[in-house]
Amino acid sequence: MTSAMNEPRPAGVLIGQGLDRLDGPLKVTGAAPYPSDFDLPGMAYASLVRSTIASGRISRIDRGPAEAAPGVLAVVTHENAPKLGRGPKTILGAAPPPPLRDDRILHHGQFVAVVVAETAEQAAEAARLVQPEYDAADPVLDLADPRAKVRDDPWHVDMRRGNLDAGLAAADVTFQATYTTPENTNNPLGLFATVAAWEGDTLTVHDSTQWPYNTRGALARSFGVPERGVRVLAPFVGGGFGSGLRAWPHVILAALAARIIERPVKLVLTRPQMFTAVGHRPNTVQNVRLGATRDGRLLAIEHTSDSPVAMEDDNLEPITLGTSTAYACPNLITRDRQIRLNVPCPGSMRAPGEAQGNFALESALDELSYDLGMDPVRLRLVNESTVHPQTGLPWSSRAMRECYLQGAERFGWSLRSPEPRSMRDGDWLVGYGMAGASFLHYQAKCQARASIDRDGTAYVRSAGTDIGTGTYTVMTQLAAETLGLRTDRVRLGLGDTDLPMAPQAGGSGLTGALGGAVHAACVRLVHDFLRLVRNDPESPLRGCDLEDITLHDGRIQRTDDPTRGETYAGILARHGLEELTADGDSSPPRGDMIALVGSMVTSRLGRFGRAAVRATRAVAPAGACGAKFVEVRVDPDLGLLRVTRIVSVIDGGRILNEKTARSQITGAVVGGIGMAMFEETITDAGTGRIANATFGDYLIAVNADIPEMDVHFVGEPDPANPIGTKGVGEIGLVGIAPAIANAVYHATGRRVRSLPITIDRLL
Amino acid sequence: MMRAFEYVRATDTARAVEMVTADPNTSYLAGGTTQLDLMKDGVLAPERLVDITHLPLRGVTGGRGALRVGALTTMEELAADTTVVERIPFVRDALLLGASTQLRNMATIAGNLLQRTRCRYFRDPAVAACNKRERGSGCAAMTGTARMHAILGTSPHCIALHASDVAVPLVALDAILRVQGRDGARGVPLTRFYLTPGDTPDVENLLRHGELITAVEIPLPALGTRSGYLKVRDRVSYEFALTSAAAALLIEDGIIVEARVGLGGVGTVPWRAREAEEILIGAPATMEVFRQSAERALEGARTISGTAFKVELAKRTLVRILRTVSGVVA
Repeated sequence: MTSAMNEPRPAGVLIGQGLDRLDGPLKVTGAAPYPSDFDLPGMAYASLVRSTIASGRISRIDRGPAEAAPGVLAVVTHENAPKLGRGPKTILGAAPPPPLRDDRILHHGQFVAVVVAETAEQAAEAARLVQPEYDAADPVLDLADPRAKVRDDPWHVDMRRGNLDAGLAAADVTFQATYTTPENTNNPLGLFATVAAWEGDTLTVHDSTQWPYNTRGALARSFGVPERGVRVLAPFVGGGFGSGLRAWPHVILAALAARIIERPVKLVLTRPQMFTAVGHRPNTVQNVRLGATRDGRLLAIEHTSDSPVAMEDDNLEPITLGTSTAYACPNLITRDRQIRLNVPCPGSMRAPGEAQGNFALESALDELSYDLGMDPVRLRLVNESTVHPQTGLPWSSRAMRECYLQGAERFGWSLRSPEPRSMRDGDWLVGYGMAGASFLHYQAKCQARASIDRDGTAYVRSAGTDIGTGTYTVMTQLAAETLGLRTDRVRLGLGDTDLPMAPQAGGSGLTGALGGAVHAACVRLVHDFLRLVRNDPESPLRGCDLEDITLHDGRIQRTDDPTRGETYAGILARHGLEELTADGDSSPPRGDMIALVGSMVTSRLGRFGRAAVRATRAVAPAGACGAKFVEVRVDPDLGLLRVTRIVSVIDGGRILNEKTARSQITGAVVGGIGMAMFEETITDAGTGRIANATFGDYLIAVNADIPEMDVHFVGEPDPANPIGTKGVGEIGLVGIAPAIANAVYHATGRRVRSLPITIDRLL
Repeated sequence: MMRAFEYVRATDTARAVEMVTADPNTSYLAGGTTQLDLMKDGVLAPERLVDITHLPLRGVTGGRGALRVGALTTMEELAADTTVVERIPFVRDALLLGASTQLRNMATIAGNLLQRTRCRYFRDPAVAACNKRERGSGCAAMTGTARMHAILGTSPHCIALHASDVAVPLVALDAILRVQGRDGARGVPLTRFYLTPGDTPDVENLLRHGELITAVEIPLPALGTRSGYLKVRDRVSYEFALTSAAAALLIEDGIIVEARVGLGGVGTVPWRAREAEEILIGAPATMEVFRQSAERALEGARTISGTAFKVELAKRTLVRILRTVSGVVA
């Protein structure tokens, strides 16, 4: 993809440059085709019916009235649906249960029928006519409900080191508190849509997904058809924030509807359905215990959490795991429990687990700092660890100290008077607060392919998606730089399972994985050009290897004599080739395939095992980290809270594009403000119905709530990744909520341990 | 998504009134900013809409003793009127705080006054229990924990909030609605127009089917009256009031000689706080008096768990706006 409005940039200094988004003009002119924009000949429309109870059975479901409604082509319920398979397991756990499998209701809003009609309006209207009767049971909705099934250590990542009790006993100061975070809903602006079309057993699907290969696998398994016959396209997605990481039931239902009526079908979820059908950040109840010496060294941390999961579904969301690697502390226990409830299944939402766990830990540290009479920044500096605290391995890179120090400097932290309620501006109390933030390293295998054709332009592609983060732009920069081409001479293809395999746009892992693969493919492509002319008597590059040449504007030239060289196009023409193509791939750092699993394994190695690991001189791949500084104003009389300044200093490894990286941070800060002050998905206690599933009732931050946001990057290219990146999709959100809560305490003397911090909690 | 309906554009007021009066399934359509939402949500399903936006009912006239505001005057137009700006600035404040620019350019003043409640249970037909949608079906809001409900004027059958901002200063000013029916015109004071739910929450006002609001008359307060509107909410914008207060005060030699007070975010109808006015009139403009008036204003409040905090918040909101308008230093 190229863009006329973006000035072409020459290679040579592209990495890091804040290029404008190449897809920007397409998006602001409405030309970017989102999944819901696809219209196919003969296409019909599907609308979904949701259960109005949270637990029980469908006793009767009459398709008749809907089938008789104008334009209706099919009404599918559990009574007439074919048996569908369940999608493959992923790192996130088991796939969602197949839809319409039986008469059981496991949560309010569960899809119980799909209605297909000639127009979207007819489908929606007919869907209203499907009114099942239920045998309702008493739903299990509360984490504290004694009937609820509890899964201890559900992901086998509970951590333990040293002796917690001994650490607490030796501490001069101990602290304990309980923190709660509510359910939040991802709410990407783009309503999730699926357009499905079958030809025999081959299926083409346009889908709002962050992971096309996963959706392809899920569709193939659901319908028992070969994966190679299923193509999933998602060249543009209207945001995801994690909700597009799974192949949710509506995707399967759209394909099912198309298979039944033997016509293409479009399904667009409604906003209320987006609250029950595509995941959400689960609520948590967390307990933190800390023990420290008088001079602030942490001797003990215990962090436990309860969070919900749906009855027969799965979600990978360790809340407390991040705590195990946040600080140097010899004695530690982290423990997660997952509670099965009659709720729509939670799923990843920007910084899953870490967003909630970090709120509790960083709030508790702030409280401890007051108990110790110690500056909160200093407390964190004292406990910063130069090694991975669980394995003892040195970090691959971690500029956390710079984050704290530069953040404090940029913010003007030294102007803070330590006493709560000591700073004021008219009716407004002023408070300063801060928090540290880390995000676990994650990377998965990825492939990419790069071609240069006879006109000298490159086409680089992979199945990975750009969900609004800037992937098109940064990968174009990386490919152009690696191939020595101007940016407008590189076309990028993304979001299509006909392209080489790529992992999800999630876990802050895609840039590193895809970047590694794109880089490898481009290097190999240059290498292949050199191989082509290695024994070519007509080539000035004869006999050259990669280390002998430099690339300049589509031309390969000898470094020792730049006048001797030739263009990609010239080489192809002389050899009678239309194009040259090379594949590249990337893998996670060895010995730590996935940091999460790595930590799990090393935690079970025991003392000698860990010593053995250290002896290998391995490093612990570090994810991004950062420090957040916040100024708030509180009108204590009216409970009004305003955030007036935020400074984020981030170590994201090598920054490929300063502008898109900055946008990732500022966007995440906005999400963090929402989490801290507004966002709360409310479930009615008796019924399990979500009571605020609209944008009028579920409050996200609006422009007027967003202050000046200062973003600054520190750190070095990370050696654990071939292109040195760490991924910055999530680190921007982590730490914002506790920094705001800590600033509120400093302003008012009131500690808010339950989010969001709304007016009623400040009166 | 909505059911198919017939659309008619009216060119003549009498004819429009006739069309709607004659058919219970026909409704007026003005700015449509609430109505179309409710149709998409399946709460309303008219078979025919009579678009009245081309009727000659737009514009602000008068200016000495009272303003006459055509029913189709948009919120934005009324907020920009120079008399409003000079004489009743709290009406302007309420309009500007009441909706985004896009909505203010579409929404009409009469439509604003007729907006339906934002109650989450009323607006979701999947919830069976709503006495306002279907009398006798119950009230799901009572057992919920939501904050966006009324605490004044409630009944055991309904706690739905009237969420209009501009209606709050307008009830305080004793605005009068001009109403056209098939059989003639009448005037209805806004303070009497709205009906608290009682045991008929589905009946929200005195308008009979087919009657059309043609104008809103706003009596202007005495010269020298100062006014203000304070809206308290979590978000800085794009949110209905948790609590709001409108106050207009005429103070001479430190004594309040005229007081008009309305409360928003708390009432099943836009709330005229006459008890608060009684405390204020004739009293010195002091924080003690303001607090006393606020205590009186909220005396009849009834809450559920999610709305309990609104009692104190509403009092503080009123005290703050009285302080701001009077210029009293706390």
